[in-house]
Amino acid sequence: MSGNQKTFSLIFNAAIFILLEIAALGMLRSNGILQDTWAMKGAHALYACLWGKTESIKYYFSLQKENARLAEENFNLAGRIRDFENRGPVSCIHADTLSRTAATTADSTDRYAYMQAEIVKISNNSQHNYIIVDKGSEEGVVPLSGIITGQGVIGIIDAVSRHYSYGISFKNTDMTVSARIGKTGPVGSLVWDGIHTDGALLNEIPHHIGIESGDTVYTSGFSSIFPPDIPLGTTGESRIINGATYEIRVRLFEDFKALRYVTIVRNRGTDEISSLVSDR
Amino acid sequence: MKTNRNFTVTYILLVIAQMVICNYFRISPYVFITILPAMVLCIPLKVSTAASMLIAFGTGLAVDVLAEGIIGLNTLALVPVALIRQPVLKAVMGDELMEKGNPFGSRTAGIGKVMLCVSVAYAVFLAIYVLADGAGVRPFRFNILRFAASCACDVILAMLAIHVLNPSDR
Repeated sequence: MSGNQKTFSLIFNAAIFILLEIAALGMLRSNGILQDTWAMKGAHALYACLWGKTESIKYYFSLQKENARLAEENFNLAGRIRDFENRGPVSCIHADTLSRTAATTADSTDRYAYMQAEIVKISNNSQHNYIIVDKGSEEGVVPLSGIITGQGVIGIIDAVSRHYSYGISFKNTDMTVSARIGKTGPVGSLVWDGIHTDGALLNEIPHHIGIESGDTVYTSGFSSIFPPDIPLGTTGESRIINGATYEIRVRLFEDFKALRYVTIVRNRGTDEISSLVSDR
Repeated sequence: MKTNRNFTVTYILLVIAQMVICNYFRISPYVFITILPAMVLCIPLKVSTAASMLIAFGTGLAVDVLAEGIIGLNTLALVPVALIRQPVLKAVMGDELMEKGNPFGSRTAGIGKVMLCVSVAYAVFLAIYVLADGAGVRPFRFNILRFAASCACDVILAMLAIHVLNPSDR
């Protein structure tokens, strides 16, 4: 018997079997009350299982939409939190300075403007990683804006096209972020350790300051790109470099491999600060 | 031709015997006496699986309708036996016996192999029969006891049915 014939015979037998069993079950149901209930229970269990699976599949395919909705909601909530922290319980202000679109918000001090964006491409496996996001000059993104999330600094916008922006990832060994241990602690520069996906090194912390392992590291706000008090990670082991400063291992909060949505942040005073520095 | 006619007549007589058993030989609620799976196993090997399923369906339905009981119960349990008949025989008897088209019987196959085939067929039949008859209201222990007791009784009776149905065994 050839392969095709075998398959056909198998399908044919299965079809006959199913038909005959359905007929037998039908007769059983119509002739026994208990069997009727039993068959109904079985059928309901089967329906429930099938519908449950269908719903799960449907839910899985709607996850992308759900994620986008949650990211938007998260972005709005983050804006409200910034507002509460800076000015008290007032609703977030929709600014028009950065992009002149409703998708941009500003904090209450008006120093920073925020915009939600989705990552189009991200590299994680080289020493010089990059990010491409789906917002460009048309949406109001400018170079030297920061890319952040609620759990850390992701990178800096380097180049902008009409609809996309290219950013240098924090996971570049030559990119540093001004960071502080605790919200009032010493300030140093945070740099990716170049090895671990969640590892960074906090340098230039004076060695006379006591360091506790497990302290949270925040952005200092001294940079003209990133706002202060964004949690970045927790401190770990430390060692003294050249007898003068600590180098502290930091475990980052953000999982770069699971990143999808980010916030682009722009310091509105960058130009003013730059001109002031150049005048001096 | 004569062998075929003999088989058909014997088969029909055994169906009538099964009806009599169902109506008058109710020994215990734990024991269900049946020779139907053995009869289905004895259907000649040249009969295809689809045809043997139809024969099993007809046989089960006849017993269900003409003997006291719930219509559909024997039918439901007997069709799967016809479905697994050829694969089980092939697996137990081996390709050689199957290719020769030797009839199913202890003289050609050996009593051990026949018992094994019969046990598998009865296990499938009784598992479905006991579950469907209990319809989820009988305790699990009762079902297990009924399955085991029926299996033990029926396998012995099945050897007799095979002996009657198989010309080489007579």
